Amino acid sequence: MINMGPQHPSTHGVFRLVIWVDGERIVKAEPHIGYLHRGSEKLCEDELYSQVITLFDRLDYVANLNCELAFCMAVEKLMEIEVPERAQYIRTIFCELNRIASHMLFYGVYGMDAGAVTPILYGFRERERIQSLFESVTGARMMHNYFRVGGVNEELPDDFEQRLSKLTDGLKQGIDECDGLLSQNEMFLARTKGIGTISGPDAIAFGVTGPALRASGVLEDVRISEPYGIYDRFDYGIPTGSQGDCWDRYYVRVEEMRQSLSIIDQAVNQMEAGEILANVRRIARPPKGEVYIRTESPRGDFGVFLVSDGTDKPYRVKVRAPSFCNLQALQHMLREAYIADAVIILGSIDIVLGEVDR
Amino acid sequence: MTVEQGVYYALGGLGLFVFLSVIVLILTWGERKVLARIHMRMGPMRVGFQGTLQPLADTIKLVTKEDILPSWADRRVYWIAPVAVFLPALLLWVTIPLGRDLVLRNLELGLFYITAISVLSVMGLLMAGWGSANKYAMLGGLRAAGQLISYEIPFIMSILGVAMLVQSLNLITIVDGQANYGYALVQPLGLFIFLMAGLAELGRTPFDIHHAESELVGGPFIEYSGAHWAVFFLAEYINTFTVAVLIVLLFLGGWRWPEMPFSGAALSALSALWFLFKTALVICVIFWIRGTYPRLRIDQLMSFGWKMLVPLSFINIVITGIVLFYGWPLWTLTVLSLVLLGGTFYLIVKNPGTSIERNTVTVHAIRATAQPPVPETASETEN
Amino acid sequence: MTLKTAFRKPVTAQYPDPKKRLAVAKRYMGFPALLWDEDVDEPYCTGCMVCIRDCPTQCMTAEMKDNPKFADDTSRRRKIVDYFEINLGRCILCQICVDVCNFDAIEMSHEHELSKFQRNDNRVDLAQLLKMGNEYREKTGWTPKQPEKNSGIPIKKDDKPKPVRKRAPKKTTTPANTPVAVEVEIPTEDAGEKAKTSS
Repeated sequence: MINMGPQHPSTHGVFRLVIWVDGERIVKAEPHIGYLHRGSEKLCEDELYSQVITLFDRLDYVANLNCELAFCMAVEKLMEIEVPERAQYIRTIFCELNRIASHMLFYGVYGMDAGAVTPILYGFRERERIQSLFESVTGARMMHNYFRVGGVNEELPDDFEQRLSKLTDGLKQGIDECDGLLSQNEMFLARTKGIGTISGPDAIAFGVTGPALRASGVLEDVRISEPYGIYDRFDYGIPTGSQGDCWDRYYVRVEEMRQSLSIIDQAVNQMEAGEILANVRRIARPPKGEVYIRTESPRGDFGVFLVSDGTDKPYRVKVRAPSFCNLQALQHMLREAYIADAVIILGSIDIVLGEVDR
Repeated sequence: MTVEQGVYYALGGLGLFVFLSVIVLILTWGERKVLARIHMRMGPMRVGFQGTLQPLADTIKLVTKEDILPSWADRRVYWIAPVAVFLPALLLWVTIPLGRDLVLRNLELGLFYITAISVLSVMGLLMAGWGSANKYAMLGGLRAAGQLISYEIPFIMSILGVAMLVQSLNLITIVDGQANYGYALVQPLGLFIFLMAGLAELGRTPFDIHHAESELVGGPFIEYSGAHWAVFFLAEYINTFTVAVLIVLLFLGGWRWPEMPFSGAALSALSALWFLFKTALVICVIFWIRGTYPRLRIDQLMSFGWKMLVPLSFINIVITGIVLFYGWPLWTLTVLSLVLLGGTFYLIVKNPGTSIERNTVTVHAIRATAQPPVPETASETEN
Repeated sequence: MTLKTAFRKPVTAQYPDPKKRLAVAKRYMGFPALLWDEDVDEPYCTGCMVCIRDCPTQCMTAEMKDNPKFADDTSRRRKIVDYFEINLGRCILCQICVDVCNFDAIEMSHEHELSKFQRNDNRVDLAQLLKMGNEYREKTGWTPKQPEKNSGIPIKKDDKPKPVRKRAPKKTTTPANTPVAVEVEIPTEDAGEKAKTSS
């Protein structure tokens, strides 16, 4: 029995994986989570809606704006607020930028799992560019607290358009470079092809969503099955794999980065001047009721279930974290792997412990 | 042996030890700088000018660190293991020349001596794994031993190919034979095999699974800290330098190709500098490979060694033998080598284990189903 | 390919090197700082505690006092802040305090370095906060967002300033917490007698 303990250089956060091995083959694997449990859902019950947004920032701390978006959409649906057009476009642009940033982090860390020391530097270089754009608009590089119930907090600065076009040009080149470094490298292919396969029906049965599900061949994306916001106004592509192995999960994310760039371009072209925040009271008091919202975060289907009792603090907030549900498939994926593959397979699911443990 | 000879050897040995230590310090600094440049960052900058005193700081830190020993570890084995790894690395240098006259003792069987001594360090790794009383260390030690032993064969066979060309095992004679063209031009396949086998012997990326950080952290060296680890570290870098020097001596012409001008002391000095310059280039290539490639899994590593390198090294010897026996001109050997090298790369790329299809991801296009609302007259949108 | 990147200019810089330091964006959210009203020589902050109530981590405390300058008729503010403390170690830099402040009194400065020499030096008091505010104002040329409303200059009794609306007037929908008419039972004398007999 081998314990890949919480203090392991490669388990993406505090996560413990207990593996039973027979020689080099894994016989059974048991993930232990909870090392990062902060009681976020309970904390939400005692905070105003504007303060809950700061908590949601810190759930999936790599793709903050996607989480903020889910919560804001939930409250807006309860209060039946219509978000202004410009705010919708701004939200979409930022969520897609955050998707690229999150996938860049995945790329860097996955390269390091496989043993190459350079992809992490290249991935973080691109991520820094995106984060400095975020800083100029929202004021913070990571914990933005930018979306509000009814829109966004502040208007974009004047030089935003040219900064964004410079950024997207740089990102196009960066994504191509990162792709060229790792994707077709023979050793990387040898490490990831055919490893950790999961078939489409199995993935659906385990509740896997997001790029991990699409890599198994299932064309399922919340943006097309239940379109939210303004995603139905754009032409983009949804990459799917066919083998369901680690390489497919990796390459689906690389392709998604390119598609996010095309969405951003279209959104910037379609965006008009206008209001950025709907007429909402500063302290939101949704009517009594419950609502469930699904969004597509970079990890999968991020869901928020909100129960309100009419006061200015939520009664119950439940988060359906995609990484938590994707982890259920880990044991299935590890069924015929070597020890050295355990790290590769775990890395390809792309979990963030902040979501898993909340 | 007279007293003078004894003094000569003692001083020479000491000088060699000092020289190698300085080389190791330079190498650690160089590795961090080269890797940093590949990563578009700066590397050590603070300690000394551009970080040149950084290795000194590292040494001081390592030597003053507390020595932790697990209570149920085998003390004698634990203590001897670093020495068993370090001593062969040092002993190799007795016979490696840095110039025509810059050698401690040139043996007629120089190459044979080198290959024999270099195998001894495997035992040191096994002792390190066993003496640590830690199952990860044991696993790492066994893996390392397997890897090192299996890559000895291509290592030795590619050296043999060069020895056949020169009809001698004496290192100085080998370099003298390369006055006009290095043997890399004649046996590129041999160079490739030796480089790969050397990297695997050193335990460097892409073959560094036994002390990979993201898996069994540290391999056989987990339980070593402080000065013990410094000795292992020293041994690894001395070995890196040795492999690079061997590549230059055997394939890239040593201190010749071309022969340096002048004569006497200036000739020796210039030749040594030229030699060190070529070695530095080879070392940069080794660091560059480390920065670019991910690592192979242990079974892929072993299959690469046994299924690819071992047969290739035998074929290398066979074609060298054929060319020498029939007295063909040497460029035929070059052609044959290149053909085989091309075939190898083709096989690596088309290896059915790595890619049935290269790209199994398709992109489905989604079309927009809604249009943005047509803006009303300006007064209404401004609100 | 890595050979190409090896010859590019390095992306990183050494930490305290002032020349190569990236300038923070104008909107960068550093630690909160209080601002000083130059016209009347007092802080903008009146100690109303809205920011303290709305802070997610409850990192601030304050007290207000009667403004002596109001009695002298040199300022419009009736109350002024007496004591203000922020525990910078607890602040999560979320900017909610700035959003809810009615008086333009608090802003996120560009301070972000948290290392101090003393153990409790991260609990900053009013004087330090005002100093941070001054540095921020000099660095960015800050002006209040609603100068007429929040200025401290005392006004003549005749012309009262009209309040400036930040947002459009509200929609006329019933907010969720309008009291619903509830039937209240007024205890009659029968119930009282029933209680007496049953006890």
